[in-house]
Amino acid sequence: MILIGERINGMFRDIREAIQERQSGPVAERARLQARAGAHYLDLSTGPAVDAGEQPAVMEWLVRVAQEATGLPCCLDSVNPEAIEAGLRVHRGKALINSTSADQERMDLLFPLAVRHGAAIIGLAMNQQGVPKDASDRLALAMELVANADAHGLPMEDLFVDPLVLPVNVAQDHAVEVLETIRQAKLLAAPPPRTVVGLSNISQRMIERSLINRTFLVMAMAAGLDAAILDVEDEALLDAAATANILLNREVYCDSFLKVFRKNIERRSQELEYRSQSSEF
Amino acid sequence: MALTGLAIYKLLPKTNCKECGQATCLAFAMQIAAGKAGLDTCPHVSAEARETLSAASEPPVALVRIGAGENALEIGNETVLFRHDKRFVHPTGIGIIVPDTLDDGVLAEQIGRVNRLSFDRLGQIHGVDLLAVRHESGDPERYVRAVRAAAVHTPLNLVLLCAEPGTAERALEAVGERKPLLHAAHAENLEAMVALARRYDLALAVRGRNLEELAELSGRAVQAGHKQLVLDSGARDVGRVLADQTQIRRLAVNKRFRPFGFPTICLAAGENAVLDAAVYIGKYAAVVLLETADPADLLPLITWRLNVYTDPQKPIAIEAKVYEVGNPGPEDPVFLTTNFSLTYFCVRGDVEAARVPAYILPVDTDGTSVLTAWAAGKMTPEKIGTFLESSGITKRVQHRRLIIPGGLAVLSGKLREVTGWEVLVGPRESAAIPAFLREYWSR
Repeated sequence: MILIGERINGMFRDIREAIQERQSGPVAERARLQARAGAHYLDLSTGPAVDAGEQPAVMEWLVRVAQEATGLPCCLDSVNPEAIEAGLRVHRGKALINSTSADQERMDLLFPLAVRHGAAIIGLAMNQQGVPKDASDRLALAMELVANADAHGLPMEDLFVDPLVLPVNVAQDHAVEVLETIRQAKLLAAPPPRTVVGLSNISQRMIERSLINRTFLVMAMAAGLDAAILDVEDEALLDAAATANILLNREVYCDSFLKVFRKNIERRSQELEYRSQSSEF
Repeated sequence: MALTGLAIYKLLPKTNCKECGQATCLAFAMQIAAGKAGLDTCPHVSAEARETLSAASEPPVALVRIGAGENALEIGNETVLFRHDKRFVHPTGIGIIVPDTLDDGVLAEQIGRVNRLSFDRLGQIHGVDLLAVRHESGDPERYVRAVRAAAVHTPLNLVLLCAEPGTAERALEAVGERKPLLHAAHAENLEAMVALARRYDLALAVRGRNLEELAELSGRAVQAGHKQLVLDSGARDVGRVLADQTQIRRLAVNKRFRPFGFPTICLAAGENAVLDAAVYIGKYAAVVLLETADPADLLPLITWRLNVYTDPQKPIAIEAKVYEVGNPGPEDPVFLTTNFSLTYFCVRGDVEAARVPAYILPVDTDGTSVLTAWAAGKMTPEKIGTFLESSGITKRVQHRRLIIPGGLAVLSGKLREVTGWEVLVGPRESAAIPAFLREYWSR
């Protein structure tokens, strides 16, 4: 399970203010917290408050600050291809682009960009007509993503299909379709594309968010989910992910499996710290 | 395994003509992958596409038979790279090579030695499966005579190691109805060997100089209409063979690479032949041929094959009968346990450690452990009573004292009633057996 930390996003007030004042401290602190909690990637989003013209410079700055603090690879989250390209130029290691839709002109722009920089890319199962309702419509768009990725020579394991999670209080009938899409995405190609969800969206503006998030994460993992953008600082959520790992026979069981999950995270973040200290930043 | 949407899309004409009822070829491919449409509704699809699509429904490794009738050896049909993922299906056929250069008498003697290579393992007889006659003499007469002699002297299935189609044809005139494996078709003789194999309807080994040539030759043999193939990558060095075997199995199972969708044959010769053969049995060989007929060389290989090809999902059971530890007499202790091999060998090891001669009686519980058997009603006083009688233990000991596992203490009263034996409740763990014997067992 690939965990993508969601917290460095201009939608959050602390990050928005840090961006406006170019204060690297709060961003670096969030990066470190998420790395320690177990993130494999850090999602970076300027948020809508930054002008389009400013976005490339801000993205570049976020990548530098996050990677200096942790050495983790980043998930460059923007609808602005120029901001993504600016981030890719300074990014070290294998980045994840977030995202392209299944619209032809977006795919023709972003897939070559991913291939050129050796980055992975998230493909949203939607187009200008909006978010499809049922699994078969989502899969048809996922197939468009797969066929186009293949045509551009992107390795299938570098394509992360996002079936689009919607809030359950206003779009309750979508969640089950998302699960079915995840299940059937394995039929699209061999090796199959990977799957990812923006997990926290399932509980937008609802109560008991953590409970809803972790319950859906476990269900999606059972359907074959490979990655999620989520709140890695939510301990109950990570415990649920660790438990699902055991029940899906992805990790060998032992009585101290939660501890082992944390230990692995700790060991990895120590390695990363060592690597970032010894690198040429 | 069905083809993926992308794989199907690549087979389609990409005209987006909508004649199939779908908006695009891509949408049509999705429908096929989901099993909601057939290829037939597309009027523009090529014959090659149809062929590829139907091949996808075949098993990854073809089933091949060597020999005729009930005793034929079945190989192939494997589906995994690691036995713990599911299981390995058809145990490796082990064969011994005899050269046609031996004098008639020596040859008959050697074949007799091969015939006697059978061993009792866990109550079943396991032996070698194949006798291979190798053409070394250069004299066709001599080869045909050796093959005839082999057919007369052994009930085993035959392998003809003879790459000259003319000589092989004469040998097949004599033994064709035994449906031997013919080894091998190579780049120069392929068409003639395929014709022979087709005429006699038998398995044909295809040997390439490397994996690339092997794939090409296998494809040619299939094109010529023969699908009973066994693959030989030509490698004879253990490191190379291991790599080739792995590639062949991986490509067949993971990539559905049709030219490698057949069982394989390996030859183990030289100083480390037994160790090499053990590697091949562990790593996907469907047939292994050796030059040695020494029982000391074959016993470990046959045991290893038995181990590798057991079903990991089924517990391994041992035969339910009286086992002796040391040289027990009529006054020595009797231990009751189950026939789950893990349980039995724990008990046996600990009884041995006690250095007291004893009997062990594993009840047939379908290979389940003590507590599992008890919970499933497979370890009842009645069943134990019957086993005490049928096993013959009553004639071998004069006392009537039975030591039962501590975990089954609850059975002791009923067991005494049913069997009339005095029941001693032993320790819960077999590791405590030595201490238990010191304290509670006196002659």
